[in-house]
Amino acid sequence: MPNRNRLHGEEGRAYWSMVLPAFSIYLLVMAFPIVLSIVLSVSNYSGGKMFGGEPWGFAGLKSYARVFSDPLFWNALKNNFYIVLLSVFGQLPLGFIFAYIIYRRLVKWPGFWQGVLYVPNIISVIVVGLLWQTIFSPNGPIAEVMNNLARAGFQSKLEALFASAGGFNVDDGLVSRILDMAGPAALDWFSDPVPELKDLILSYEGAPLSELIGDLCNLFVPRWSPEFLSKPNIAMLPVLFVILWMYTGMYLILFLANMQKIDAQVIEAARIDGASEGQVMRYVILPALSGTIVNSAILAISGSLSSFSLIFAMTGGGPSRVTEILSIYMYNNAFLGRPNLPLANAISLVMVVISFMLIGLTKLAEKRYGGKEE
Amino acid sequence: MKRMIAAILLIAVAAVGGFAQEKVTLTVMNYQQADQAGYPEDVKIWQDFQAANPDITLNIEVLFNDPYHQKLQAYAAAGTMPDVFYVWPGARSAVIHEKKLAKDLNQLLGSAYLKDFSASATNPANQLGGYMAMLPQSFTYTSVMYVNTKLLADNGFKPPKTYADLKKMVPKLKAKGIAVAMLPNKDAWPMQSCLFSTVVGRMAGDEFLDAVLAGKAKFTDKPFVAALEVIQNLYKDGILSREDVQIGYGEAAGMFASGKAAIYIDGDWRAGAYITDKASGKALISPAAQDKDFALMPFPSIPGEKNRGVVSAVAGTGWAVSASIPAGSAKEKAATRLIQYLYSNDVQAIRFNTGAYVPTRKGVKADVEPLVAKVPVFYAENPKTCYVIDGVLDPAVYNVINDGLIAIGLGTKTAAQVAAETQAAYESWLASK
Repeated sequence: MPNRNRLHGEEGRAYWSMVLPAFSIYLLVMAFPIVLSIVLSVSNYSGGKMFGGEPWGFAGLKSYARVFSDPLFWNALKNNFYIVLLSVFGQLPLGFIFAYIIYRRLVKWPGFWQGVLYVPNIISVIVVGLLWQTIFSPNGPIAEVMNNLARAGFQSKLEALFASAGGFNVDDGLVSRILDMAGPAALDWFSDPVPELKDLILSYEGAPLSELIGDLCNLFVPRWSPEFLSKPNIAMLPVLFVILWMYTGMYLILFLANMQKIDAQVIEAARIDGASEGQVMRYVILPALSGTIVNSAILAISGSLSSFSLIFAMTGGGPSRVTEILSIYMYNNAFLGRPNLPLANAISLVMVVISFMLIGLTKLAEKRYGGKEE
Repeated sequence: MKRMIAAILLIAVAAVGGFAQEKVTLTVMNYQQADQAGYPEDVKIWQDFQAANPDITLNIEVLFNDPYHQKLQAYAAAGTMPDVFYVWPGARSAVIHEKKLAKDLNQLLGSAYLKDFSASATNPANQLGGYMAMLPQSFTYTSVMYVNTKLLADNGFKPPKTYADLKKMVPKLKAKGIAVAMLPNKDAWPMQSCLFSTVVGRMAGDEFLDAVLAGKAKFTDKPFVAALEVIQNLYKDGILSREDVQIGYGEAAGMFASGKAAIYIDGDWRAGAYITDKASGKALISPAAQDKDFALMPFPSIPGEKNRGVVSAVAGTGWAVSASIPAGSAKEKAATRLIQYLYSNDVQAIRFNTGAYVPTRKGVKADVEPLVAKVPVFYAENPKTCYVIDGVLDPAVYNVINDGLIAIGLGTKTAAQVAAETQAAYESWLASK
């Protein structure tokens, strides 16, 4: 950087002529949106022309108060923390272990495994989201397998029941036992369950017993998928699984690249001194990579908080907003229905603050427990 | 000599420039989906206008669904609204109406032109801003039961007239692997728009929603809770399947056509999904089957309803002209010419023919397939209408209802809980105003 006193001279003009274009672009595309976001979050802007239209003014911290009093915000934050926890304590350790296994050639064809684990990263996020959405859908393969298993179990029970009754011998006792097997929810489908089901079964007289059993399975075997996805506490599980599957490979590559920089002789020396593979990993590789791990954790945390497209494509935050994360919560307020830009900007700034706090924690952890990377 | 030639050329250029028509460029935002039936016809509509009006250049941007609304919102914020754009009469295009970003078409088109449209279309009270920001192309019934009468007859049933008729079908149809009724609700709005609004109209009536908006009633009051309970019972009684909550709006039409359900609940606009696609020549339901095997019906009568037979309906979408175009300018004249073309008898007949909607323009004739022809008959047979909830409530409130209806479908919330959440959202929205 030139001396401050010389900035007035020709050198100074040359300096500014070179710096100013980049600096202006930075102000325009980085600083201006950030400042505008802060301004909007404390404003009462309600749509229409932003500059030169209807005047809008200062509204204080109203939007922030609304964010913190909204249960949907806390639900989205909780889901984001699940993703952060999974990223830091799932993707990073797994990526590290896989990288170590490949680096130390503890498996055959390490190049192949490296490729297989990295492949999900090179597929479009939207494609991955739609792919897994199909897999987890009520008509998808998982539902198909689960429904078939449930059906097989119910069918064998029905066959045993009819065998014990000596075939198509329908009485109230048999009908009651079928209803017991079906569970209480099925009772709601009838006004008077026993006689109505009996009539239905009797209408199959003359038809093969297998047809009746098949149709009773259609009627009573519960479908698997919605039951699974409806529970708020476990609806995130498929999403978390996909995130783990998709991004672990990226950390594997990061760790592997840095492991390859470690002097192989150090590892050999440790092995000659009798260190096991586990001890080499714990006492040689791990301290040497602590800086990489911290940087990866920062990447994981910021990526987790800003993740959007995968979950948007996979669940859209549904069903009933149980898989909503902060970015989707912000998007819904910014673009769905009547847009509320002050609220959406307040959410985005809260996300930034949370991100800084988590990164600060990571830095502290590194200072406290980390080693020195050569 | 050179000077003379130059002078002659100058005079010639000035003369040509003076006599030539002023060329106007209009920016247009069109709402279309390229893989939707009717898209090739839409492209031709614009090409025909362009060919017949060489003095107007159209710069058309085509988007669909949320990206359309987001971009229009961004244009509104930047103060660069397109000259002609597609809008909703209600809260979906709230900014356009409330900030008066569109010209009053009543003044622009004039009463002589508007007399050819139905009264519901030209009534400013049907639009959020209380003025005619757009001209609805249709008056839409948002709740129609598409009934596969053949499938019902094959299983020994007649089209249902009461809730009990529906319930009676459950064991037998379920045993055959057929859902009694299907209403895909993964996208959250279909249940509210295509069934719940009608149920509220039947159980509580428009006067109840008016009373809520006037602060004289609450969503936690009995009529609204009873309406939510009807939806709860539809799932509990097995008439609707809980897995419908996981089915996307676009997937369900094909499932119904393939016989996976005896009844499909949607808006009248969905008739267009079943007719012959002009590009491929294929139809989800053949015209012959549309004619004899399918019927359009209102939702059957519900125990405890106070307004028998009402069906939710709302003014449909339409075109608007940017308020920023100077009055009396060549651009305003060009935009007016375009609007008049889009609402012309010929263009409306094409839209009617593709099953997009039944036009609000009077006397439009088209050679439509049987299912589309049944739509105006449905209107005539069901003249009593009620509010569509997302047409009268703010998104901050109706989004909570949408989510609540999904939760009811999943069995994770009760009617009373959803009613309480709706009231809380309403009070919070009131406080934020």
